[in-house]
Amino acid sequence: MLSALPRLLPALWLTIEISLIALALALAIGINLGTLQSYLRPGHPVRRLLRVYVFFVRGTPVLVQIFGAFFLLPVLGIELSPFWVGVIALTFNSAGYQIEIARAAIDSIDKGQREGGLALGLEAWQVQWLIMLPQALRRMIPPLTNELSQVVKASSVLSVISVFELHKASNAIASTSFKYIEVLTLQAALYFIVIHGLSLLSRHLENRLPGGPKLASAVR
Amino acid sequence: MGSGLDITFMLEILPKLLKGALLTLELSILCVILSSLAGLLLGTARVLGPRWLRMLVQAYVDVIRGVPPITIIALAYFGLPEVGLTLDEYWTGVLALTLVGGGYAVEILRAAIESLGKGQSEAAAALGLSRLQTYWDVLLPQSLRLVLPPLTNELANLIKASSLLSVISVNELAKTGNDLIFQHFVVIEVLLQVTLLYLLIIGSLDVLSRWLETSRLVHPERYRSSA
Repeated sequence: MLSALPRLLPALWLTIEISLIALALALAIGINLGTLQSYLRPGHPVRRLLRVYVFFVRGTPVLVQIFGAFFLLPVLGIELSPFWVGVIALTFNSAGYQIEIARAAIDSIDKGQREGGLALGLEAWQVQWLIMLPQALRRMIPPLTNELSQVVKASSVLSVISVFELHKASNAIASTSFKYIEVLTLQAALYFIVIHGLSLLSRHLENRLPGGPKLASAVR
Repeated sequence: MGSGLDITFMLEILPKLLKGALLTLELSILCVILSSLAGLLLGTARVLGPRWLRMLVQAYVDVIRGVPPITIIALAYFGLPEVGLTLDEYWTGVLALTLVGGGYAVEILRAAIESLGKGQSEAAAALGLSRLQTYWDVLLPQSLRLVLPPLTNELANLIKASSLLSVISVNELAKTGNDLIFQHFVVIEVLLQVTLLYLLIIGSLDVLSRWLETSRLVHPERYRSSA
């Protein structure tokens, strides 16, 4: 069983790599769109559009989103390797959840901060991005750690479009060696170490950072 | 592909997709029922059981939360025959998803019981109820109402997870759509319908869950009038 480990570790690294890239890209998108959503007045068309996006991401399986990216990108004339199709699909998925995380964190900041900023003569957008967002960032850290473990789990589905991440690689090894149980158990153990490790980290951060467990559980 | 959607084709494949959607629904509802029962059993073991049993339940929950569902499905698919249990793809899928859902159901029950507050068990202890009576007659009936909204949410998660059963050839919605794409080489029409069907199912569950959160069924105390 352990003889498969050296062949699984590069695949585990690919899983981590693709998850981190997707999380980082989704972070840039999610934080800004989430801040924008909490900035716009209710009923604003852009705010509505963002809600539709979040609804779409939460309302469809990640598998369908991955197939969507896989089949639709070529139709649009964008030819990418499976790796980058995977990055785009996971980014698209994670950004939807991160919009919610950012919005909830900003909405949890005391209203006095906004009023104080406005009283000092700052523009509304300056208050939102320079006063509210920086304070909310700290509160986003535990749910974002949690989100990273969700992305790692979702990355396993990229096996269906032949990205050689951990699940795909172990399937390939298992089907040539016929040691399904051994390889799959090893695969589960590797995922568990990463994901459980992240959830321990998230719980640790929850207790350390302001906002506390309440916010983190409110987001998911 | 010309401009616009091929509506005739969309109508032609709709019955097949509806059949897939129905299987998705059937699978997921079956799994949410089975995993709720598993969650009730394991949740009870976790509250009342001896220390080793509680740790075992916790380990199960941690493993389910720490391993992607697709891995659990693959393990069930390849592992069950090796231990002498030969099931078809459908029941393998039901078993795998129930394992996954059960882990989350335990957590849902725990959260509901914890949200009741210490006062309930303290009052029960003051009245001389045993631990078993406190759990069964005081904590459980109150928390069963509270688990309804998160369980609706869990059903939505199981519906999404059931799409992964396509990798073991269960002909649910995602697999049906995927097959149609490769049969007819038509992408947009199929994906659009698959997406809309999922949104319809999961969106209605979302509405139901939000309604339950404030409903009289779940929170009768909020509606108690002074009369």
